[in-house]
Amino acid sequence: MSKLDRIRTWLKDSGQTGPTNPSKTEANCAWYRMRANFSLLNLHLRTETCVHCARRFYENLVPSYTIYDVECPDHSFRKFTEDGLYLISFSRNHQDLVVYRPTWLSFSCKEENCDAHDLPPKAKRFETLSSAHMQYLVTNSVITWFQHLLSSSCKDFFLYLESNQYGIFATSTTPIHDASATGGGIQGVPYIEKITFHLLRLEDGSVLDEKVFHNDFVNLTHNMGVFLYDDLLAIVSLRNQMIHILQIRDSGNLVVVRAIGAFCQEDDELFLNSNAQASGKWLGGENYDSSLKFLKRSHLKGACVTIYVLFELCEKIKQRVQCLKKNFYFHFQDYVDLIIWKVQFLDRHHLLIKFGSVDGGMSRNADQHRAFFAVYNMETTEIVAFYQNSAEELYLLFEKFCDHFHATSRHSLSMNFISSHSNNIHSLEQLRCFKNKASSSSQFVKKMLGLLPFSCQSQSPSPYFDQTLFRFDEKLISATDRHRQSTDHPIKFIMRRQPCSLKFKIKPGPEAGNMDGRTKKISSFLFHPFLPFALSIQQTLFLQPSVVNIHFRR
Amino acid sequence: MGSMLGDWPSFDPHNFSQLRPSDPSSPSRMTPATYHPTHSRTLPPPDQVITTEARNILLRHIYKRAEEQLRPKRAATEHLIPEHGCKQPRASPY
Repeated sequence: MSKLDRIRTWLKDSGQTGPTNPSKTEANCAWYRMRANFSLLNLHLRTETCVHCARRFYENLVPSYTIYDVECPDHSFRKFTEDGLYLISFSRNHQDLVVYRPTWLSFSCKEENCDAHDLPPKAKRFETLSSAHMQYLVTNSVITWFQHLLSSSCKDFFLYLESNQYGIFATSTTPIHDASATGGGIQGVPYIEKITFHLLRLEDGSVLDEKVFHNDFVNLTHNMGVFLYDDLLAIVSLRNQMIHILQIRDSGNLVVVRAIGAFCQEDDELFLNSNAQASGKWLGGENYDSSLKFLKRSHLKGACVTIYVLFELCEKIKQRVQCLKKNFYFHFQDYVDLIIWKVQFLDRHHLLIKFGSVDGGMSRNADQHRAFFAVYNMETTEIVAFYQNSAEELYLLFEKFCDHFHATSRHSLSMNFISSHSNNIHSLEQLRCFKNKASSSSQFVKKMLGLLPFSCQSQSPSPYFDQTLFRFDEKLISATDRHRQSTDHPIKFIMRRQPCSLKFKIKPGPEAGNMDGRTKKISSFLFHPFLPFALSIQQTLFLQPSVVNIHFRR
Repeated sequence: MGSMLGDWPSFDPHNFSQLRPSDPSSPSRMTPATYHPTHSRTLPPPDQVITTEARNILLRHIYKRAEEQLRPKRAATEHLIPEHGCKQPRASPY
């Protein structure tokens, strides 16, 4: 007996009948689902199951209607905030941050056969779907004695703090490549004279606080160099090799909690300066235990280098000790030359830090270069674990507990239900399929661990990306907000449940397709977190205006 | 109409016309069976408090593996030190 039949029988027993037409029309399915959901919701109100139950409604409420080529201002749309209240975009000249508050189309039709009517022409205008909430000018031209500094906003970077409706965006001067290693900076890393992080209250547009970094470099493309967890912000300074931990207070202040890099604890610099002779003892290797403790306290990189090397030491001590000593000295400089690439929070006290060589940090093919991962406890300043990027052990943890690597705040309900291979059987099957197809196991492990550490707020919480509900081509569209190669064919979303029918299609670009098939086009998609509403933006690589389509439920 | 859905708008006014609210006089057949324990051997201790562990499962695994790796290594080094303790370090030829 199918689920629908069981529900019908249950309803008949309890003395209620459903709609008269027993055929499986969309309205009937929705009615039965609603009735079933009410009873399930009563049972599961206090658990997270109610989210999954309610999500099944999205099989019936889909953005099936598309308005092609909407007339909208030439902005670069960045994202919807996780609570769905705002749409963040940057102006084309990178001087303005424009925030929209999405409203719904209001259009009423008093006639009999309303479905056959088209929407009025003004529906094609972007303004009817949103009201320009505010416009914040980030022009910041400072004329100093020697240079004319002009800051522009970084259009790839925006983080949202859901609890207080705060947003964080950044402005910076132009990065200078090929900079020399002056002022303690790393050779090969670009150099930015001034980067400012602004904390903005989105409700009224007031800038509450800002944090400035001088003569530094933070990688802001796709939120890579910054990680937000609850109210803690980790900013990785690549040039000076520091991890700055800031706290966002409810009052709107950005407070520096700690700076990890040359020193682990706040009083380390004082300790080092007043105990200068301790470093001489370490070089002599006399008192091994106390020097180890000193290393752990004072230098993060030195600590993880020594501990990893210690593990290797203990493994080989049963073999030849001489050979061991040679290996140690041979590889030691490689470990010392490692730099911090990327950082993420695992919880409020633990960081996952990726180390690699200088060349690998700035290149695109990071898989080819050797990299290491360290789990660092900020409170005890201990390196808890240290793995190479080909470690099977770390990959097994990644496969089983991927959701914990994503480190979403517990307060954010929507972000905790994004499909991953740790919480979804379909995603896991897909991963296993890739694993079986991979030519070499270690290459596969390196490729998967290359995703770590994750960037925060890079995935859309929209239920249309829930793998339990819909099947779609992950190469063309997915929850991750990356630009993808655009095709003229619409992207199909097919129901997972029987009868596995096509539910809706998302077609980027003009309705009739593109005239010239030769120019390369890229698409990006912005889905609202919970409404059946999405934007698809298709752009060519030349500075032509992008084609924006709106997909919604009519 | 007195339907469960109240006065919600509908495309077709004849929809849900045959819906009847459940009769309060007839006994509901949905009373679940209840079970009572026959002994008290499995009662929890009176001062038991159940809380969520602060550290998440991923970090617990990482810490457990780290402790496992260090423990047998310490046993091995303690075993080896008496053997090598009597030997003198050779002068390095380099």
